[in-house]
Amino acid sequence: MSGDELLNQSADELFGQVVTPAALAEAERDGWSQPMWAAVSEMGLPGISVPEDRGGQGGSAADALGVLRVAGWHALPLPLAETGLLAGWLLSGSGLPVPATPLTTVASRGGDDLSWDGSTVTGRLRGVPWARHCTDVVALVDGVVVRLARDSLTVTAATNLAGEPRDTIECDRLTPAAWAPAGVGVDVEAQRLRGALTRVCLMAGAIERVLDVTVRYTQERQQFGRPIARFQAVQAHLVHIAQQAAIASMAADVASREWERGSASLEVWAAKTLCGEAARVATRAAHQAHGAMGMTQEYVLHHLTRRLWSWTREYDDAGWARRLGGVVIERGADELYPLITAGSAALG
Amino acid sequence: MVQSKGLLRFPATDLTTSELALQREVREFLDHELPRGSRRPGLGFNAPADREFSRKLGARGWLGMALPKRYGGGERTAVERFVVTEELLSRGAPVGHHWVADRQSGAVIARFGSEEQKATLLPGICSGELGFSIGMSEPDAGSDLAAVRTRATRADGGWTLNGTKVWTTGAHRNDYMVTLCRTDDGDDRHAGLTQFVVDLHADGLQVNPIPFIDGTHEFNEVVLHDVFIPDGRVLGDVGQGWSQNTAELAFERGGPDRYLSTYPVVELFLREAVPASLGAETTRFLGRATATWWVLRNLSLSIARAIDEGGSPVQEAALVKELGTRFEQDLLLGLLELIEVEPSPQSRSMFEQVLCEAILTTPSNTIRGGTTEILRSVAAKGLAR
Repeated sequence: MSGDELLNQSADELFGQVVTPAALAEAERDGWSQPMWAAVSEMGLPGISVPEDRGGQGGSAADALGVLRVAGWHALPLPLAETGLLAGWLLSGSGLPVPATPLTTVASRGGDDLSWDGSTVTGRLRGVPWARHCTDVVALVDGVVVRLARDSLTVTAATNLAGEPRDTIECDRLTPAAWAPAGVGVDVEAQRLRGALTRVCLMAGAIERVLDVTVRYTQERQQFGRPIARFQAVQAHLVHIAQQAAIASMAADVASREWERGSASLEVWAAKTLCGEAARVATRAAHQAHGAMGMTQEYVLHHLTRRLWSWTREYDDAGWARRLGGVVIERGADELYPLITAGSAALG
Repeated sequence: MVQSKGLLRFPATDLTTSELALQREVREFLDHELPRGSRRPGLGFNAPADREFSRKLGARGWLGMALPKRYGGGERTAVERFVVTEELLSRGAPVGHHWVADRQSGAVIARFGSEEQKATLLPGICSGELGFSIGMSEPDAGSDLAAVRTRATRADGGWTLNGTKVWTTGAHRNDYMVTLCRTDDGDDRHAGLTQFVVDLHADGLQVNPIPFIDGTHEFNEVVLHDVFIPDGRVLGDVGQGWSQNTAELAFERGGPDRYLSTYPVVELFLREAVPASLGAETTRFLGRATATWWVLRNLSLSIARAIDEGGSPVQEAALVKELGTRFEQDLLLGLLELIEVEPSPQSRSMFEQVLCEAILTTPSNTIRGGTTEILRSVAAKGLAR
């Protein structure tokens, strides 16, 4: 497990207290849970990895990524990744202060058309997590980082498969609340990689939890006079989930470690590709092992599997596999094994 | 969080400076001995046997690496052995002669063998001289090994063995076979089993070829007819064959040989391909394959590190073997969807030749050393609360 163990433990305890089944259902109904945000914010979790002199809590990206693993395990319905690691990084990395409020951001994709004319922002950005409940939307537009006050935007509500807000924002010649040329290392590629890494960590935590609840359930549930976990066909499901949990966790661990060391592009491409596949396999096996119970809203599984489906597509999955394959082809046969062992370090 | 709740554990680790130096040393050696692309690569531990090549590895100190120095070993770590092994396998090196001796027979003899056995057998394993076979399976005992019927009965100064072993890889060229026999018929079918180190050239022992699916001769039937084995060749304790055998299987699983067998096929595909002709589908396939090798390598490395730290990651190893051996075969199916030719063993393309061999032979990798189904049962035990 990456990051700061004590911090992870504290986060685990806190999330265990506040992310109750009732709170999750409420957050989904309302799109937001203010008590949950207040508790998480009180502990300083959203600001981890944002420098203290920019308004954050300090700490490393690996610390924040470790907390995201825990958040994924609990299906925490808050823009934790967005506030610090993504929006906080865009702002602080470009010399701007970071407000101590819920912030959100997303990288532009095909169909989005935000543009910058030197003083104002015009256009549309879709799939913005919790935009309607954040104070500001931060975006990287044409080499400039802008902070847009939510109240000055047109926000159209939409959700992902987990019922979490993924809104569309629009504006027309809007003057940002703050802006600055993107700082050194702040670019679209870095933004997409960072976003992908946040999803890898959330997914690793969620798949570990899927394993945990499936193991529990299959040991409690009795059919034909014994726990269903005793049937070989059910054990095969458990083993397949355990394998994918091991893959996702290892991918998150190594990618976070290399990120902290300064160069992790290949690891993030690989990790996001693998987590997508892990989510597909684990979700299917977990639902099969749970039977009808897993298909209900009263049982915890759907909070995890619906998020996994959403995180799989966010910040891409298939595209990263093509990037990795492109490097493999470009480097050629002799360099393939050294690439597998050395990772990004081999890219130079 | 799951990591503190006793399910399977795979702590991430990476190579130290000295382990990376060893990796460089092995790569330089292989660049000299077996330059990439210069010859037809072998597929994992099914690669050809080449006693001369094994001797060279022995001379470098890369066989019996974990065995005690006084028997010719290197007293090196499981991770160092991992580093050497992954380089050999990714190169498709001819490891067939020493593979079983180096991976498991040596370790079992070092752990359970007598002083005399260690002194006479281990140096030959470490030098690459001796080849070993595994005498476990029988016509009526495969996954259910406790059903073995090859019988050892008391004789003057030793034991007399009678029975038949099957699927015995390399018995026609190797020196010894670690053989599981029934020595007692009690109610407990796991008791009363004993392991013997059988000289494959002993009187009364006959090796009959069982042609492998691709027509090659690797498999054998070994018929034991009144074969005399002196007391000194009982391996470990009489009646303890089952538990010793379980330990032996742990050595067999979780290593790089469980996901790299078909690596040379993909490397050859890449070597022969015209880069500009490779489309998006192929590019994605190569990306996914590389991501999977990367993560399996990290899982396998984690197991090696856990062994060095005194752990016994038996269930973790079973989990990785089940995953890796399926992945090896999935790669071939993926390649078959991408290529437009009908692969022929007589093709002028080395890729096609090796692909043909791999398609036919790699289904054995989800069978030997514990079938996929057995491995799932082993791994599932680690998932109980």
